[in-house]
Amino acid sequence: MFLLLPFDSLIVNLLGISLTVLFTLLLVFIIVPAIFGVSFGIRKLYMKTLLKIFAWATLRMERGAKEKNHQLYKPYTNGIIAKDPTSLEEEIKEIRRSGSSRALDNTPEFELSDIFYFCRKGMETIMDDEVTKRFSAEELESWNLLSRTNYNFQYISLRLTVLWGIALAFTGISLLVVGTTVVGYLPNGRFKEFLSKHVHLMCYRICVRALTAIITYHDRENRPRNGGICVANHTSPIDVIILASDGYYAMVGQVHGGLMGVIQRAMVKACPHVWFERSEVKDRHLVAKRLTEHVQDKSKLPILIFPEGTCINNTSVMMFKKGSFEIGATVYPVAIKYDPQFGDAFWNSSKYGMVTYLLRMMTSWAIVCSVWYLPPMTRETDEDAVQFANRVKSAIARQGGLVDLLWDGGLKREKVKDTFKEEQQKLYSKMIVGNHEDRSRS
Amino acid sequence: MGAAHSASEEVRELVGKTGFSSDQIEQLHRRFKQLSGDQPTIRKENFNNVPDLELNPIRSKIIRAFFDNRNLRKGSSGLADEINFEDFLTIMSYFRPIDTTMDEEQVQLCRKEKLRFLFHMYDSDSDGRITLEEYRNVVEELLSGNPHIEKESARSIADGAMMEAASVCVGQMEPDQVYEGITFDDFLKIWQGIDIETKMHVRFLNMETIALCH
Repeated sequence: MFLLLPFDSLIVNLLGISLTVLFTLLLVFIIVPAIFGVSFGIRKLYMKTLLKIFAWATLRMERGAKEKNHQLYKPYTNGIIAKDPTSLEEEIKEIRRSGSSRALDNTPEFELSDIFYFCRKGMETIMDDEVTKRFSAEELESWNLLSRTNYNFQYISLRLTVLWGIALAFTGISLLVVGTTVVGYLPNGRFKEFLSKHVHLMCYRICVRALTAIITYHDRENRPRNGGICVANHTSPIDVIILASDGYYAMVGQVHGGLMGVIQRAMVKACPHVWFERSEVKDRHLVAKRLTEHVQDKSKLPILIFPEGTCINNTSVMMFKKGSFEIGATVYPVAIKYDPQFGDAFWNSSKYGMVTYLLRMMTSWAIVCSVWYLPPMTRETDEDAVQFANRVKSAIARQGGLVDLLWDGGLKREKVKDTFKEEQQKLYSKMIVGNHEDRSRS
Repeated sequence: MGAAHSASEEVRELVGKTGFSSDQIEQLHRRFKQLSGDQPTIRKENFNNVPDLELNPIRSKIIRAFFDNRNLRKGSSGLADEINFEDFLTIMSYFRPIDTTMDEEQVQLCRKEKLRFLFHMYDSDSDGRITLEEYRNVVEELLSGNPHIEKESARSIADGAMMEAASVCVGQMEPDQVYEGITFDDFLKIWQGIDIETKMHVRFLNMETIALCH
């Protein structure tokens, strides 16, 4: 073997051999399976090992904390307030009932004590509210060895630090190699439909492996078909890669500049996607028209849409925008749930830019998620778009084990609409005025 | 390590002053930082970031209560411009649950403090009396969301309620006697029988530290 290599130095020879071995391994274990869609099960084994390590790490941390006699920080994932589901009416009636000398008046009009209900509710929302906590990363109860998710970092022992350092270095090197391969595979010319589908698929599968994503697909017989719309809950840009590596979709989105723009233009050459100019996005009728045209052409791929409109931290599903539900096509709901133990996939766009986010994704242990394909739904004759959207949303929330909220994801950046504010006040005033009218009548 | 040590001393101080547990204080501190945007103090504008609060008809009174000098125990009238974490906890402590280990006297004291908080909410000009105007003001705010109620009916509701309150406090009035307003003692009389000390508290979830058994 040494005669074949042109270099004299031993070190260079060794380097050459190790690089060859590395590339062969890469080819055999990553790229070839990606092309054919086969898996060796190595990642599942990796996942099991990681879980065992996390449990051990948490134990050591607790022991460390106990020795120093400090309290460990325990995150409250469901908020700190026990909110009873009693209604406004019940609570106020209860308070009034226990009031003094009310034997004669059965339905008093207004009591000093009424203010108390609103006061307490106000305090509780100041302490902890349902909406704001959806826009920050979910907190874990055990630690997953990433210092970013742990507030008790000071208790780490030497052994843990060493393990962490080595693993990080290893991940970094292998991902560098995989990343360069990915760039070389972007489609750049005209392809026939069959070829384009497979190229897309292969590209996404490689991305999936680059992120070490371990995805479990459930109910694959319900996968979206041509002429339909696929809706899913949105946690991060990776959602697109995850869904597209298991099926063929047409993407919808805004035209970007830079690298994203290049990718978008290239993708459009291979098969029809729906990209909107920035100005067209504002015009809802134009958007609806283009989507309808796409959907009615049965030869075109199903559209992939995220109706929440923004990234949510994967503990809940927020209000779906009704635009995509008005078109009248069959809707294929998909629920995506990430396992936060291996790496938090939520993209907090006000905290991290896209590049930082992708780096964090690549350097977390793995992206483990489950994808459920739900049976297709169509709009009933007696429901309007909003009700249909809510029905689909509940189905997705139920399947993924997420909290179903009525709040708008746009609250990340904007204020509450006035129509919502008046609801509570109307309810209370109806109660009082109702009594007032009874009184004056009798 | 040094920073962590002095932080826990502060926490112990706060536990003594306000009666919250150290877990609850840590949680509230994170909430404080979230509301203030990592600043050391909160101003009125910071409360605009809580969407659920927008639904509350008396939100301006609640927010005002946070800055009220009487509640902060810093004076007998006026409003502060900004509050720090300790002030935040002081206001929150009006809503902490009653400890079952307290004796009767302490429970009564707690009750009085909580009722005083509510009294300050009604009595916006700090003169120690809830006048008819102030009462009307509260009723109007509570009913303000409903466009169908005219100002007149809101007024008459308030007037009716005020008369009832007067009859409780003063008993039968002479025809030309003017009722000046509800004082704090009258206020206490009205609330007699309503066990507010068990109802006027934030219902914290009971979280014990999770034990690992292996």
